[in-house]
Amino acid sequence: MGQLYQAISEVEENIAKLLNEVRSLKQYVEYLEEENVKLKRQLCAVSEADTARVQKNAARIQKEAQENLEKLYNEGFHVCHIYFGEPLEGSCLFCNAFLRKD
Amino acid sequence: MEILCSREDFLTGVNTVQRAVPTKNTLPILQGIKLKASDNKLWFEATDLELSIRCYLPVTIHGEGEVVLPAKLFSEIVRKLPDSDLKIVSDDHNVNIYYNNSNFAVNGFDPEEFPEIAEITSEDPIVLPSALFKDMIKQTIFACAVDESRPVFTGLLLHIDKENILLIATDTHRLAFTSSVIPGNEKEFKGIIPAKTMNEIYRLLDDEEVLTIKYNKSRVIFEFGSVQILTRLIEGQFPNYKQVIPQSCNTKILVDGKKFLDTVERASLLSRDNYLKTNTVRFSVENSAIIINQHSEMGKISEQIEIEQEGEDFTISFNAKYITDVLKVINTEQVIMEASGSYSPVVFRPVSDDSYLYLALPLRN
Repeated sequence: MGQLYQAISEVEENIAKLLNEVRSLKQYVEYLEEENVKLKRQLCAVSEADTARVQKNAARIQKEAQENLEKLYNEGFHVCHIYFGEPLEGSCLFCNAFLRKD
Repeated sequence: MEILCSREDFLTGVNTVQRAVPTKNTLPILQGIKLKASDNKLWFEATDLELSIRCYLPVTIHGEGEVVLPAKLFSEIVRKLPDSDLKIVSDDHNVNIYYNNSNFAVNGFDPEEFPEIAEITSEDPIVLPSALFKDMIKQTIFACAVDESRPVFTGLLLHIDKENILLIATDTHRLAFTSSVIPGNEKEFKGIIPAKTMNEIYRLLDDEEVLTIKYNKSRVIFEFGSVQILTRLIEGQFPNYKQVIPQSCNTKILVDGKKFLDTVERASLLSRDNYLKTNTVRFSVENSAIIINQHSEMGKISEQIEIEQEGEDFTISFNAKYITDVLKVINTEQVIMEASGSYSPVVFRPVSDDSYLYLALPLRN
């Protein structure tokens, strides 16, 4: 009888723990929902012109980065993750694939 | 140890294991071949600690034991012995070889010093036909790197995924890929096998034999007939080879592989000894023909091969070896080449066979 009572007590404790976790998760979900609404408002506030400017800037940076990597490769250095920066002997399939992908 | 065997059998054993004896100066004991007589078998063993080869011969044993003999001297002796029956008797670390009415005494090493080649116990090994594996090695091994600065490229990626088996080699300038099927296989294995090991498997494997692969995390053992080849796997991550295979092309051509091989070999005669040592062959693909106009201080060659061409014309330069190597292993008469201009990798495939692919980067002039 004592053992059964102890087992039930343990189950009760576990349920209490789970309940606490659910409570804290609930608070966290509330916080995330609030933040999501806030971010959506901010996003709406950004004008199309601003969006276009940011996108253009990102494209320019990406193009420059690509050109720099191509220049580096053409000057005889690896740009692949395997040998990055090391002197190139001939050509490299992985650099070529990397530049082609970008 | 006291055994009786023929000189021919003895030579077979020595020749089988000798390639595992290191050529560079290492531990003196590794310069030896270990002979071990037990259970009516004479075992030959050699190792450079990365690759170990052992094989056995059925012989008549009058006394069991083991001995380690200097490989180079020992193989020379066996080669130069008359073709007769031999009696080999060891006394401490030394061996007496009796033939006809003569005797050759060789001083050996202490067998206790010879490294133990640990077994790999695998209850469920992978079993596959030798001819298939030999073909796969032949089609890929030439694309491995010789330079040891990046060890992963000095090996071949062996990937067995249930019924599918893949073998891939690359030296970053070119890549060879082959795949096949092992019907009924349920096991999986992925590891980088040193090219030297694969070379030995190719050399020793008979087409009719069955190859058994046992493995653990760091080592693999290939067993066939009376031979066992044990190797350490190359550590490191094999790069993502799929990303380098072009998914499209601007020009697709169909060429007679033998004619193209002969032409490239002839053209490379003029570039082999140029000062750059690049062995460059330059050719144009235009109006359904491959046109080679190669000249050097030594002479000039002009050749034209009729091809089937789809897509735009282009001119391209290659290290001749990158083309001849692959044309020698493609089994079909016609070869497909897929190119995208002068600087992108060119893909070579056999006709009607998706299991093999080779790609090489052209030279950037």
